[in-house]
Amino acid sequence: MEIKKGQGRFIFFCLAPAVILFIVFLIIPTINVFRMSTYKWGGYTDDKTFVGLQNFEKLFHSDKFYQAFQNSLLLIILVTIITFAFALVFASVLSRENLKGQNLLRVIFYIPNILSVVVISAIFSAIYDPNSGLLNAILNLFRGAASDPTLWLGDQKIVIFSLAGAMIWQAIGYYMVMYMASMANIPESLYESADLEGAGRMHQFFTITIPLIWTNIRTTLTFFVISTINMSFLFVVAMTGGGPDGSTEVFLSYMYKEAYTNSSYGYGMAIGVIVFLFSFALAAILNAVTSREHLEY
Amino acid sequence: MRKVLSLALTAALSLSLAACGGNTESNSSSTSTDATNTSKNSNSTAETRTLKLAALETAYGSDVWKEVISGFEKANPGVKVETTIDKSLEDVIGPGMKSGDFPDVIHLAVGQPKGLTETFIKDNNLSDLTDVLSMTVPGESVTVKEKLIPGFTDTTITNPYGDGKTFLMPMFYSPTGLFYNAGLLEEKGWSVPTTWDEMWALGDKAKADGIALFSYPTTGYFDSFFYALLNEVGGPEFFTKAMNYTEGIWQSPEATQAFDIINKLATYTEKTVPANGNKDNFTKNQQLILDNKAIFMPNGTWVVGEMGKAPRAEGFKWGFTALPAVKTGGDRFSYTFFEQIWVPAKAKNADLAKQFITYLYSDEAAGIFAKVGAVQPIKGMASKLEGDNKLFYSIYDGGAKAAMGAFATTEPVEGVSISDTVFGTVDSLVTKAKTQAQWVEAITKASDQLRGALK
Repeated sequence: MEIKKGQGRFIFFCLAPAVILFIVFLIIPTINVFRMSTYKWGGYTDDKTFVGLQNFEKLFHSDKFYQAFQNSLLLIILVTIITFAFALVFASVLSRENLKGQNLLRVIFYIPNILSVVVISAIFSAIYDPNSGLLNAILNLFRGAASDPTLWLGDQKIVIFSLAGAMIWQAIGYYMVMYMASMANIPESLYESADLEGAGRMHQFFTITIPLIWTNIRTTLTFFVISTINMSFLFVVAMTGGGPDGSTEVFLSYMYKEAYTNSSYGYGMAIGVIVFLFSFALAAILNAVTSREHLEY
Repeated sequence: MRKVLSLALTAALSLSLAACGGNTESNSSSTSTDATNTSKNSNSTAETRTLKLAALETAYGSDVWKEVISGFEKANPGVKVETTIDKSLEDVIGPGMKSGDFPDVIHLAVGQPKGLTETFIKDNNLSDLTDVLSMTVPGESVTVKEKLIPGFTDTTITNPYGDGKTFLMPMFYSPTGLFYNAGLLEEKGWSVPTTWDEMWALGDKAKADGIALFSYPTTGYFDSFFYALLNEVGGPEFFTKAMNYTEGIWQSPEATQAFDIINKLATYTEKTVPANGNKDNFTKNQQLILDNKAIFMPNGTWVVGEMGKAPRAEGFKWGFTALPAVKTGGDRFSYTFFEQIWVPAKAKNADLAKQFITYLYSDEAAGIFAKVGAVQPIKGMASKLEGDNKLFYSIYDGGAKAAMGAFATTEPVEGVSISDTVFGTVDSLVTKAKTQAQWVEAITKASDQLRGALK
């Protein structure tokens, strides 16, 4: 009995530091966000008034919020699908095929990840520049230099896709490395026997590679949701500032604008709560939809 | 034995964690005793009093503040000024203020992205500084009010609640207007337009030469432009009404005239401007002027320093003019942008802070500021300037009237930003994503929402 008691205490003390840290740095701040979303508060002083769910009510009647929501959702979908497809294909090519300079290619694909978002934004701002940018210069080869330049960051209809382009370029390398890591674990013998059975490359890709890295794919889908929400804020701040005329406003940039510039910290926190619930729900849905029987090899 | 050892280790671990917590507590309590000390000290003049100054580091640099402070400390023995000067001031002083530790005096203008000053105005968290105006400037025989250029303390910015009380004191000011390449106009034999009709005629002439009439750094620069334009179309009284969101004001003939001018100007704007109209690429829009690709842009005197190292067309020479008049012989306005210094309501040494602000208007301090190009609205200050600045600050001598003020302060209205609605939409007018009617409708809606929240 005495030993058991001692053991319990030992376990308690072992766990205590981690649990305390978890509560102090994760649980309490999260609860605080929820609590603050029910106040009308400027954010800099300690004067606040409790307003209940008013902030949420206003949020659901705000066109600007819906625009930010729409933009975020579009970016999540676009960036996830395109990055996913490219990363998977590149990973498979680099790990299955014998290419010259394979290692160099790996490094090149990974470089965007090492660069800071500000640098990437500067690079893309230069590429998208209407007068001296790379993209318009290439297009001018086909359509003649006299034509009106395309405003990649100025035309409200295309600016969100320009942002997506930069985000995809930045993300591919990271996910490619993740997929390559799990592809490396697939036993070579499976491919050999498939070869003997006469299965082509495409067939092998869909029936061997994808099912065997499925758990990894599911994890990365959650990553896609979270990182797109976070990264889109950085890209928007560094590339367009939410403009022109609010057409690239995303969740977090709108939250920042309201919380600070518009002195509505409580309202900003209400946006934070929605983003929190939304990303949680989306990740859960993705997890449920992609649930498959676990394959062993 | 092993169990004892591991228990001891765990205990040590959790103890060290507890010690961490204990430390922070004792730290914070020590700062709070410091604070009480200072408040005690402020009562007894014999001991050192500490004034906490927080100032945004701008293009004028931080050294100038240090020089002014050493002057203030010399003139007031027993006073020590503790400074926080930072480019992201809000992040540095914000956390302390949330826990009740406020600087005594803050030099931070309205219109910053983090909106700290606006938040204090909206929360009624400012000290009344009206009595500073009647205080005598140290070492001189005049009061602050007598020294200031008239009008600067009668604006909706300095008196945010419209009750005649001044809560923010005007600091460095800068006339704004249209900047252009005087060399280009001379070379082409074009004259600077004095009315909007002449402006459009010039725009058509320039178009034939492949030069656009207009560029703007970001839509944010339309604030000074719009305020000056409202003064031109309807006079100061109309401007004040508009700034207070008076019902139906945006449908008035005066407002319609202003909207028409901006909408027409949008069609004369260089096409690529909206693509670079953000805080990272706006210099490309300013570069259009230096490269003779556009003629005019709304800006402030700081642009000369900002573009100081940029390449420019041959024969380039800065030119600066007030907005053209709406009719021949009509008034021309130039909006005056100025920074503000203020005292939080919860500052512990408000009296000392007021003394400090008074000192800032002394000839001694003004001279130090002027050395780096920071000009205060003190009578006769402009005539002491040299070079480009002399030309810019003499704009009001050339017949242009000064416009001051901004949209009136309201309680925060969630999701409604009048500046985004009025100025931000100009991008959409240029790209033709929105029509003038949609623009006016959005302004009216925002204005209606803000009217109810007026202070």
